[in-house]
Formats: sequence, C-alpha cells, structure tokens
Amino acid sequence: MKRLRLLMTCATVAFMSVLAPQAYAATPTDTLVEAFAIDDIISLDPQEAFELSTAEVTGNTYSLLVRLNVDDPSKLELDLAESWTVSDDGLTYTFKLKPDLKFASGNPITADDFVFSIERLVKLDKSPAFLFNQFGLNGDNVTDMVKAIDPLTISFTVDKPYASSFVLNVMSSAPASVVDKALVTEHALAVTPSDTYKWDTDFGNEWLKTNSAGSGPFNVITWKANEAVVLERNDNYYGEAPALKRVIYRHMKESAGQRLALENGDVDIARNLSPSDLDAVASKSDLAITARPKGTVYYISLNQKNPNLAKPEVIQAMKYLVDYDAIGATLIKGIGTIHQSFLPIGQLGAIEDNPYMLDVAKAKELLASAGLADGFSVTMDVRNTQPVTGIAENFQQTAAEAGITIEIIPGDGKQTLTKYRARQHDIYIGQWGSDYWDPNSNAETFVSNPDNADDASSKTLAWRNAWDPGAMTEETKAALLEMDADKRAAMYVELQKKSQEISPFVMIYQQTENGAYSTKVKGFKLGPSFDTNLLAPISKD
Amino acid sequence: MTAPIETARPYSRAWLLSEEPASRHQAQLGRAYVIWRRFSGNRLAIAGLVIIVALILIAAMAPLIAPHSPVIGDLAGARLRPPLTEGYVLGTDGQGRDILSRLIVGSRITLAVVALVAIIAAPVGLIVGTVSGYAGGWVDAVLMRVTDIFLAFPKLVLALAFVAALGPGIENAIIAIALTSWPPYARIARAETMTFRRSDFIAAVKLMGASPVRIVLKHVMPLCLSSLIVRVTLDMAGIILTAAGLGFLGLGAQPPMPEWGAMIADGRRFILDQWWVAAMPGFAILIVSLGFNLLGDGLRDALDPKEGGQ
Repeated sequence: MKRLRLLMTCATVAFMSVLAPQAYAATPTDTLVEAFAIDDIISLDPQEAFELSTAEVTGNTYSLLVRLNVDDPSKLELDLAESWTVSDDGLTYTFKLKPDLKFASGNPITADDFVFSIERLVKLDKSPAFLFNQFGLNGDNVTDMVKAIDPLTISFTVDKPYASSFVLNVMSSAPASVVDKALVTEHALAVTPSDTYKWDTDFGNEWLKTNSAGSGPFNVITWKANEAVVLERNDNYYGEAPALKRVIYRHMKESAGQRLALENGDVDIARNLSPSDLDAVASKSDLAITARPKGTVYYISLNQKNPNLAKPEVIQAMKYLVDYDAIGATLIKGIGTIHQSFLPIGQLGAIEDNPYMLDVAKAKELLASAGLADGFSVTMDVRNTQPVTGIAENFQQTAAEAGITIEIIPGDGKQTLTKYRARQHDIYIGQWGSDYWDPNSNAETFVSNPDNADDASSKTLAWRNAWDPGAMTEETKAALLEMDADKRAAMYVELQKKSQEISPFVMIYQQTENGAYSTKVKGFKLGPSFDTNLLAPISKD
Repeated sequence: MTAPIETARPYSRAWLLSEEPASRHQAQLGRAYVIWRRFSGNRLAIAGLVIIVALILIAAMAPLIAPHSPVIGDLAGARLRPPLTEGYVLGTDGQGRDILSRLIVGSRITLAVVALVAIIAAPVGLIVGTVSGYAGGWVDAVLMRVTDIFLAFPKLVLALAFVAALGPGIENAIIAIALTSWPPYARIARAETMTFRRSDFIAAVKLMGASPVRIVLKHVMPLCLSSLIVRVTLDMAGIILTAAGLGFLGLGAQPPMPEWGAMIADGRRFILDQWWVAAMPGFAILIVSLGFNLLGDGLRDALDPKEGGQ
C-alpha cells in the first residue's frame, strides 16, 4: 500500500512537471534561439547572397582578410591577414596570411582559397560581383589580378589608384568571405558553357546555397526557407571559442509572435519588434533592449520603365506625397529616424537635411505640369512585413489625395525582390544596407548606372529602376579616386543634393536596429552592419 | 338543417388557411402563409432575418452612415484610439482609420461576395445536379465524378490554389470560392431529382410530349429549389469565413479595401495591446455568420414538408 502511494506520488510529480510549461519553454543554456524575419534569404552562398539576413549568417560563418571594428566602424582590424602593404603606385596590395589557420573542415587556410573565392565571386557574376568589378576585375583577368605568390601571400592588383581605405573596406564586406576551396570544389557541378556563362563548373554554387564552407566561429547546419537557420559552433575556429554550441534563427514574421515567444522564454532574442511591442518589452524587468543605428536606409523607388513615373515632375511630386512627420512619430518610432539622403548618418559626407515634407497641393501642381492633373494608376510591390506595409498603406492614402491610385501587391521577401531585380515593378518599397562602410557603397548603387540595358552585369539600384543618372555615374567614379578626404566628402554632399532633387528614390528613413533579449543572454550587441551582428561574444547564464 | 356554407373573405386568415382552396392563386398564397407562420414562430429565425436585413440596409446606405472615410486615416492625430473615444465609437486602427466606418463600408464587400458566390455557384450546382439525376447513365457518371474531384479537396485549400493561380484580388477570390462551393449543391439537387424522376407526374408530362430540357427546367428544378435555398443560406456563413480567410492570408481583398478578414490580419500585430483592432471585425464576422446560420435553420424548418401538417 505504501509502495502504491509512493508510485502515485512519483507519477503525479512526473505528470505535473510535464504539464508545467516552463520546463519545455526554456532554451538550453548552450543554445541561443533568435526570432528573426529571415524570409529574404534566397541563398547562403557568400559570393551570391546580397541580403540583410544572409549577411548576418555569412558574417558569422566565414572569415575575411580584414574586418570592421565593431565599436568604431571607421577602423579596420585584421582577421585572416597578418599584415598588408600597398605599392607606391597604389595599384598592388600584398596581404600576408596568419600561419596555421584551419577551415571548419580541417583544411588549412591558404592564399589559394582567397584567390578561389574572388575568382568564383567574379566568374559566377551574381549580384555582389560588382563589388570587385569596380576594381577592374572580370572573368577573364581575375586570375591575373588576384594571385597567390606563396601559400601565405596574396597579391591583389586594382586598375586605378583608389583610396586604400575604400579597397580595404570592400575587402571587409561579406562577398569577400574566404571559402574552403578543397571542400567546395568537391561539391562543384559540371556545367555546359554557354554564351552567358563561359565556365564549365558552377564553383559549388548549388551546394553552397544551403551549406557553409568557412572558417568563422559557426557552421551552417541547415537552412529551411521561411523556417529556420541552424548554426553550430566550429570547433576548428582559430579565434576565441564561442560560448554557445548552437544558434537557431527561427523565422518569425510577426512582431507580436516574437514578443510572446520572448516573454515565454521560447526565444532568447527577438529581432523584429514593432514600436508598440518595444514599448511593452521595455517595461519588463527580465528583458532588455539594445539598439544601434544601421547603415540601412529605407526608400520608395519608381521604375523609370513606367512612362508616368519617368516624368521629372512626377518624381518630385512623389517626394512631396510621403507623410514623413507622421510616419516618423508613429510607424517607425524607435526603429528609425526620418532621413532623406542616400548616405546613412555616420558615413563620410552624409547630409542630414530633410528638404521634403507632405505637401499635397504642391504635388498636385507638379502633376498638373506633367500633364497628369487627373492622376494615374500604378502598382506597388510591398514585402508584407512591418513597417513597410504600414508605410506603403499610408503612402497609398496620401498619393490618393493627389489623384494617384496605387494598387498594393503584397508578397514575401523573395517574391518582391525577384520581381524588383528583374525590373518588373512599378513602385517598390524596400531598404538598402551598405555593403561596406564607405560612402561609395551607397553612392555607387543609388546614383550610378554604367549600363542601363536589361542584360547589364552591374545591377545597381539605379539599374533596377531603369534610371540613367547621367553625369552622376562619372561623378561617383571621380569621388572614388579623390585622395583628399574633405574634397571627397564635398563631392558626396553634392551627389546627395542632386539625388534628392532628381533621382527616382524617395528616401524615407534610416534604420535603428533593435534587439530585445532576455537578461539571461550576456554579451549581445548589434554591429553597425548586419554582417557585424556577431554571435561569438554571446553567452547565456 | 344544414349549416350555412362558410365563405371566407378573400385574403383573410381563414381564406388563406382554407382546406379547400378555390383557385391555384389561393393555394399558393395559402402555402406561403403557412411557411411564413412556421418561420415567424421561430424566434431565432426572426433574429437571423433581422440581422441579415440590417446588414443589407447598412450596406445599401454605407456611404451615408459611415462617420469617417474608410480608407483615409489620421496617422499623426488619431492612431490606435481605443473604442468609445470621442468620434471613434469602435476605435481606430494602425493607420488612424475609424474602425466603425471600415466595418460599415466593408459590409458591402461581404455582401457582394456572398451574393455573387450564391448567384454563380447555386445555378451551376442546380443544373449539374438535375441534369445528372434526370439523365442518369454515363452523363450522371461523368458529372458526378467531376463533382467528386472537387469535393476531394478541402474547400479553403482549393480556393487558395485557385487564387494563387488567378492572382490575388477580391474578384478572383469570389471566382475561387464559387468554383469550390457548387459541388454540394449538385449533390443535393441530384438526390432530390432521383426521388421523383420515376414519379407519375413526370411520366405524365413525358407522355404529353415534353422534351427532357423542358422537364428538367419546368418540373424538376422548381422542386429542388427549396432544399437548395436552405443549403445556400446555411453555406453563406461558410462563404463569409472563406472570404475572410483569403483576406486574412492576403489573397482576397487588397489594401486599403476594408475587407473584414484583411482587417483582422492587419490587427494581428496590435493584438496584445490594442485588442480592438482585430476584435471588432471579428465580432462583425461572428454576428453576420450567426445571422445567416439562424436564417438558414429557420428556413429549413419552415420549408421542410415533412414537418408541420401538410
């Protein structure tokens, strides 16, 4: 009888513990779970991917020769490289690698791996290829310009004497990540060369889309689209070993869902909280918030293939039809600040004046002078996440007051982005994160478009909107070769002012990235860019 | 002594309820009166009728009674106001738009969806069902197998597939829902038709030389109508929910149309702190679905010849 009672008690206790939700909700101490909207990921190949969430994954799974100092992004620090020198004519850079470094696979990291990475970046010719195209590299000369002198020495030649900080800043961007040549070559697929693709291999692109071959503190275990990215500690990492064994990015779109999961302990960090949810989280004692202004700007762009949107007066009118004040005070409160130029505050030459405000009467006047007094109809592709949906709906209302009928086409990140990149949209609302911390990154994409043809290789944002910025393309190039920093800054100021006036980009705001986290998480800090949101320093109690 | 022959005054109660109607007109009116009496005796059915009539009136007069614009909000001045705030009886949403006005104008969309789906789906189902039931043989087999195929998919999933193929939008949502809701009507009509295709009056009409088309149109279909009407009315709640579901998933009405399902989807992100943004359209859907269900129930009881003393 006694035994039976004991058994019953045990059973009851066991049953209760199963019922208690906390027992299941808490995440293990060696595993970090982040709620993050990752629906923009379309490939994890560092030489193909060019999206914000992907930059965070590659930033934590791959190493670079040099990387940004997270605390002071105007400085660089050495990563794989031990030292670097520039020749007197400013054309040849020589990098020495640190000896005895290993990839996650155990293969040694050599100069050859870097050469292979740049070769596949240029030859694959995906979106980020333009980063190195701008140094004069192309598929035919890449192996001459980037060479391994010996296993630990790299020689990198550029076609013009660019400011060295610019070259090194590009080297610190995610597409310059060093991939494991031996491992990737093993998974490369044979391709039949064609007119558009001259090489007989895919350089492991298909495999790297869902795997990693890096030497960063973490490895990619799986990526399931719109579901999760799972990273695991790289035990061969040459730096300080990360405290976390595993990091899971869970795709959660809704701010409310992220907040609930955070409050229940299902996730440790929520990355996409809306302004109202941030307010609510701020009042909880076991949760904290960290924020960092990002090099990301949000804009509405007008495809110049649409004859109405190509009219200069219409472009101007659109800039008067965004209710900047109301959006700043409500929809993006705490997650961004109104900013109407293409350079994020903090970069060389960024201007902070916001010349435009909501002025429906003025917009109507401009439309009338464009011969569109009765307005017109256009479509707008909107990724269905906040705050862009809210901004798009508000823009739809204010534009309607001026007679412009906007039909919103919602879609997930992949759908809208694919359409945008194919130049098939009318109006697009989206964001742009600087590829490297240098004003040239944004200038190059917003106000330069060397070839406006549909099959151009350099697919800048100006190109995506079929906009020919005219002389500004050349001016952007000139600013790049200007050695004098003050003069260079002045040139960027000029470009921004001109862009504010005539470009088809309605700049809206600069992002402030927020992360709400449980106080169990230590060392969580956001970087200036997405590839510097580092996981390695994070630990959990 | 014989009792004096009672002759009731025409259109009086006694005249309508007469056991021996003197004309076809009197018989028809009498039957309608009986149905109405049975229907109006059911309080819940009357409640349903009141809800639906109110919905129709609100939809008809939407622009007149909506206190604010349903699509233009006051983002800076009146965002996320709670219900009963001055000027905003049901509060405002994330764009500062008056929720009451959006619900009122949105009733037009709801009603239009329901009406159009009924107009498209019911006749299709009726024709397929009666033809199939009356013709029999391989016609029956083919039509019923097609019906089976449609019935094999869950309604919402099939509607989703159609909308995904046709592109998002309220018109496509209506077409998609109509395409998925006719099969049950075909089944009902077929079953009804089977019960009297061999009956004497059909044989009599046939002997008089009526063509099959005439028989189906003039003699079979009218007999199937009452059960079909009941079924359609009961389905309307489901149609509203499907339309709202598509709107919720972003495949129905597109912004800024005040479609109720889309409004709930929009209110999701405020659900923890500003519950009314999602709750108010939820209530609207609840009430209208309930109205259609009550009305349908009442109609079924009233129209069912097995009940009541006929």
